[in-house]
Amino acid sequence: MNAGGLPRTQGEGTRAVRRADGGGLRAYLRGVSIVIISMLASARHLSYNRRTMRIFWPSPLPLALLAGAALFSGVGPAAARAEQTAAPAPPPATLTAAQMSGAVSIDAMSVPTPGELFAALGKQIKPNWSAAYRGPLTAAYSDRAQLALNLGGLVADGYVAVEAQDSQQVKNLGKDILKLASSLGVSKEILERGKRITDFAEQNDWNGLREELEATQNEVKQAMEAKRDDELITLVSLGGWIRGTQVVSDAVLKNFTPQTASVLRQPAVVAFLRAKLDKLPARLQDEPLIKKLSAQLADIEKLVSFPLGGTASKEDVQKLNQQTTAMVNDIVTKI
Amino acid sequence: MNNGSLSSRSRRLLRHSTTFLCCAVFAVAAIPSAPLAQAAEDTSGETDARVDALELAGALSNDGYKIRDGHWSGTFKAGDAPVLAVNLYAGNQYYFSLAATDKAKKVAVTVFDENGKLLAGELISRDNERPLAAAGVAPEASGPYYVRVQLLEGQPADFCLICTYK
Repeated sequence: MNAGGLPRTQGEGTRAVRRADGGGLRAYLRGVSIVIISMLASARHLSYNRRTMRIFWPSPLPLALLAGAALFSGVGPAAARAEQTAAPAPPPATLTAAQMSGAVSIDAMSVPTPGELFAALGKQIKPNWSAAYRGPLTAAYSDRAQLALNLGGLVADGYVAVEAQDSQQVKNLGKDILKLASSLGVSKEILERGKRITDFAEQNDWNGLREELEATQNEVKQAMEAKRDDELITLVSLGGWIRGTQVVSDAVLKNFTPQTASVLRQPAVVAFLRAKLDKLPARLQDEPLIKKLSAQLADIEKLVSFPLGGTASKEDVQKLNQQTTAMVNDIVTKI
Repeated sequence: MNNGSLSSRSRRLLRHSTTFLCCAVFAVAAIPSAPLAQAAEDTSGETDARVDALELAGALSNDGYKIRDGHWSGTFKAGDAPVLAVNLYAGNQYYFSLAATDKAKKVAVTVFDENGKLLAGELISRDNERPLAAAGVAPEASGPYYVRVQLLEGQPADFCLICTYK
């Protein structure tokens, strides 16, 4: 693989190069300046023999200053060049606990898309993706939190249709997404995206569709941010994650192996979503639907937090599927 | 051995030279030792970095990688090592593509597992003007991972990190 002709190296880590900050050169200049000043300071004590044309240093002090300046200057120009070309120290090969706990988590990168999860699952089994379809949403939601949750769920449905390579289903879902976005007041921003989804579906450009679905979701989130509806952004991600996990847990249950089940391991994602829910405004946290989802997420976190190298048992996968199915039903039932 | 003293004219000349050189020394000492102060960058820097990161990620998409729409942008300086928490799935292959604005000269991106251990993988880099770096990994276990970005050489600069997967 050659990404734009860039040089590549195999193996661990990257070589670090010590930055050239000119420190050596400045030290040299300081040293020279000190030498000159010490010479001039003692110049009044210099004597010049006109006959022999020799200069005499009458005191050891200037010589001491000279010697000190030479030591103080540290590196001369040759040493400064050597510093810049010296072998660089490699960066640390591990992260400390402090660095890991201080790591940034952001919605756009720390929450994986359903497409990533489906891609990982698809490498192990061939799920019947069309069996995971659900009927169109018929309710006219008025609650904005519920709208946001369902919007996320519809985007996840789009990924399911892409996996099934069903262009008609993708187009149908594109229209449903646009309808919900309209209810949220952000349809203008994603009108163009809706057209692109239809175009990609007609061209059977499945990779393009996966990127377009995420871009549509992100555009909705940006529009929400612009309208100061930031709290809804978390709910869009949550709705998509719940629906995606429901689909995958069902597929794993029907094709259970320990290796297949291990794909469900995502403790940090659930922890991130729970933390985001805890930061929602009080009026949203008090909504019965949000309270219920929050409590259910706490149970789910235990089910997807098995140790590294381990896997979920079939019973746990079944519980996970039941839990996420119940959550999806709560989300689609009009408040 | 003293054989007479300098003339008064020479002493005046010496005095003036000393004053001049003292000023020169203070000027040299006033040069900041390291460019640690973060320059105020406008968002166009982050946009430029994102364009470059997308270009690098786009080259990878020729091999079947899908580009995630989200990105992580910010400003870093030498000595910083910002870390991003992500969730990766076993079976998938990922590339994390990093770009920085032209005040940076060399950048690096590395991926670590949940125990902080470096994940071996493929590394790509381009130094000097608008440097780029990418790290390709194929995790063996699903779960949390950490992506570290670094400015190895250059002045504080804007950066952008993009993820691709297949």
